[in-house]
Amino acid sequence: MSLLEFRNLTYSYNSRQKKPSLDNVSIKVEEGRRTAIIGANGAGKSTTFYSFNGIFKPNAGEVLYRDRPLVYTKEALRELRNDICVVVQNPDEQIFSSTVESDVAFGPMNMDLPREEVDRRITNSLEMVGMSEYRMRPSTQLSYGQRKRVSLAGALAVRPKVLILDEPTAGLDPQMSREVMELVDELCCSGTTVIISTHDVDLIYSWAEDIIVLNHGDLIYSGEPEGFFSDAAKTASAGVARPHTFSVNSYVSKIRGKEEAPYPRTSSQFVAKMAPEGTVGGKIRLIPVQDKAEAVQTSGHVGVYGYAAKKALKEADISADYLFDALEMCMQDAVKGLDSVLYCDATMYDMAKERIEALAKFGVKAEVVQ
Amino acid sequence: MTEQSLLETRNIVYYYEGNKSPSLNDVSLVIKKGVKTAILGGNGAGKSTLFYHLNGVVKPASGVVLYRETPLSYKKKAKRELCSHVAVVLQNPDDQIFGQTVKDDAEYGPKNLGLPPEEVKERAKRALEQVGLWEKRDQVPLQLSYGQRKRLSLAGAIAMKPDVLIMDEPTAGLDPQMALELMELAEQLHHNGMDIVMSTHDVDLAYMWADEIHVLRKSEKIYSGPQEGFYADRDLSYSAGLLAPAMFQINTTLAAMRGESPAPYPRTEPQLVAKMAPGSKRGKMEVIVSKGDFDQSYIDSLSAEGKIVGIYGTETRKYISANNLMVDFFFGGIESCLSQLLNGKDTVVVCDPDCVEIVEGKIKDMSAFGEPIDYTVTDS
Repeated sequence: MSLLEFRNLTYSYNSRQKKPSLDNVSIKVEEGRRTAIIGANGAGKSTTFYSFNGIFKPNAGEVLYRDRPLVYTKEALRELRNDICVVVQNPDEQIFSSTVESDVAFGPMNMDLPREEVDRRITNSLEMVGMSEYRMRPSTQLSYGQRKRVSLAGALAVRPKVLILDEPTAGLDPQMSREVMELVDELCCSGTTVIISTHDVDLIYSWAEDIIVLNHGDLIYSGEPEGFFSDAAKTASAGVARPHTFSVNSYVSKIRGKEEAPYPRTSSQFVAKMAPEGTVGGKIRLIPVQDKAEAVQTSGHVGVYGYAAKKALKEADISADYLFDALEMCMQDAVKGLDSVLYCDATMYDMAKERIEALAKFGVKAEVVQ
Repeated sequence: MTEQSLLETRNIVYYYEGNKSPSLNDVSLVIKKGVKTAILGGNGAGKSTLFYHLNGVVKPASGVVLYRETPLSYKKKAKRELCSHVAVVLQNPDDQIFGQTVKDDAEYGPKNLGLPPEEVKERAKRALEQVGLWEKRDQVPLQLSYGQRKRLSLAGAIAMKPDVLIMDEPTAGLDPQMALELMELAEQLHHNGMDIVMSTHDVDLAYMWADEIHVLRKSEKIYSGPQEGFYADRDLSYSAGLLAPAMFQINTTLAAMRGESPAPYPRTEPQLVAKMAPGSKRGKMEVIVSKGDFDQSYIDSLSAEGKIVGIYGTETRKYISANNLMVDFFFGGIESCLSQLLNGKDTVVVCDPDCVEIVEGKIKDMSAFGEPIDYTVTDS
């Protein structure tokens, strides 16, 4: 079922524009599909987002949410924005209040929720983005990365059905970027549909199931990433670079006269595919964490994935080697034949297990043990 | 290569007002002349603070900063003099753009150097052309997009013709095409004698470009030297909030599994492809030096012979877009053509006259990963 849809949508910011910012664009975003929107600066990504949540009303065509056309009355839009949240690239456009707490409270307060519920949501959202200890701080004293996380917490507190993130990792260092993507995984596992726009094709290739590519207001592709990236010249003409793993796999396969599929999307998958035949993978002991964690004996690395697991490990005073990007790090260990332990939020257990087992498709079997 | 010290810090310590812990803690490092240098570190590690020390805007609480082996003087006149040699381009362009128009803004720096008006105009024009903004010269900077403002602030610095150009997160917020174009410009400037230092947390980008890195973690310097030495210590790089570049990680892991040495280290896509798929039937490469005198039919005639066409250099790029010409690879031209060549395709790289050596250098770098590449250099 399509969750969000454009039908022949055209939008211009003003009548003097030679070319509309979105020009007769039809797209569908399906519920639960990890969807990325890519394109050069000025391609129409932000316009798309603001059309999804009803801030922009199309000049022609329509926007549908759950198969119903948007209604542009004040009341209807307010309700819509409880379902569809957009987090903009620059956090300063979204942070208004004097303290972190009041800023995160803004969304849920507007939903007329009881005070205790608002409070619970603030606590929970700040925990998820790792900013609990900054709750009473003035927003102005925060660093860029911290402000970026606060603006994300503000959206999480609304508990939207659809979360739209505009360049969520821009300006963040590798650790923070991975932490944001981990949070996104967590949201996906708990039923939120997440749509991301980004320039970081390497990061997004490892995440997205579908991509929507825009170029100067035109839709030039929608579907699985490989269908777009396989045409090197078309990709370049849209001002988009190809993900390194895709590109290297493509050239190496062609030169060796082999099938390009299966397509590795992460370093661990790439290494698994290129590994010498007969490589035996390591085991990953995957431990689901609800709210308590117990220490285990291991000679390998210990990783922790998801905020509940991190919290539980901290409380139990268990130290971990991999505190960010831990699922991928453990998989990299596994393709090298090393065993590891991964504490993982119970909600993310199935997703983690599935990804680990998918390594077998690339030639190295990594066993998941309980 | 001479290892002459260009910029150096000796045990510098710095505190921001009201902070008890230092933002730079006993940092000593040497940035060498002619060596492409990247400063790496997570958010808040101290990269920007270090840059403010290198151009003398900030004076350390203790320790010394040296430019060409002479300690900096913090007198007004000396500071002004230093700023004309060492230019810093800030991460946020809006901290640096003052002019009423794009042209005014680019002229601001050279004007302040007290140059004759003719020279000021000439330098501003050249710099705006290099960043692709000359067509927008009469616009108000506020009307420009973020990427354009970012390039404008760079133009302002280039127009001063500094000896050293220091760029803080130059590619942050730029789309991939703009980022690659900017790296190409950096390469070209460096080749023409300007030393380039950049801070970034894009480890993949830094890996392709830098000869040497200095890494900061929580206000302290934890590493100086070639990149491989840093990433080989996975715990160290992970603790700095940095992950090893994908190229490095893939190459070293596979080498270990095969019981081979990880060197030579591929740093670009075609280098990795060459290493992963040795002994392929390779195409040839023609390097064509652009005199800005060709048209679409010329490019089409190359394509008709089955050749893949890419471009390199700011002049060539300007010429191609001004004349609406179509080529296969408008950005990332050399790397894309080299990968295609490994796949048996004949390729053509059209480049600026002052880029021939850069292109040849990149072609020769491939020799570490298999047979030398068969190439020719001709005029357009």
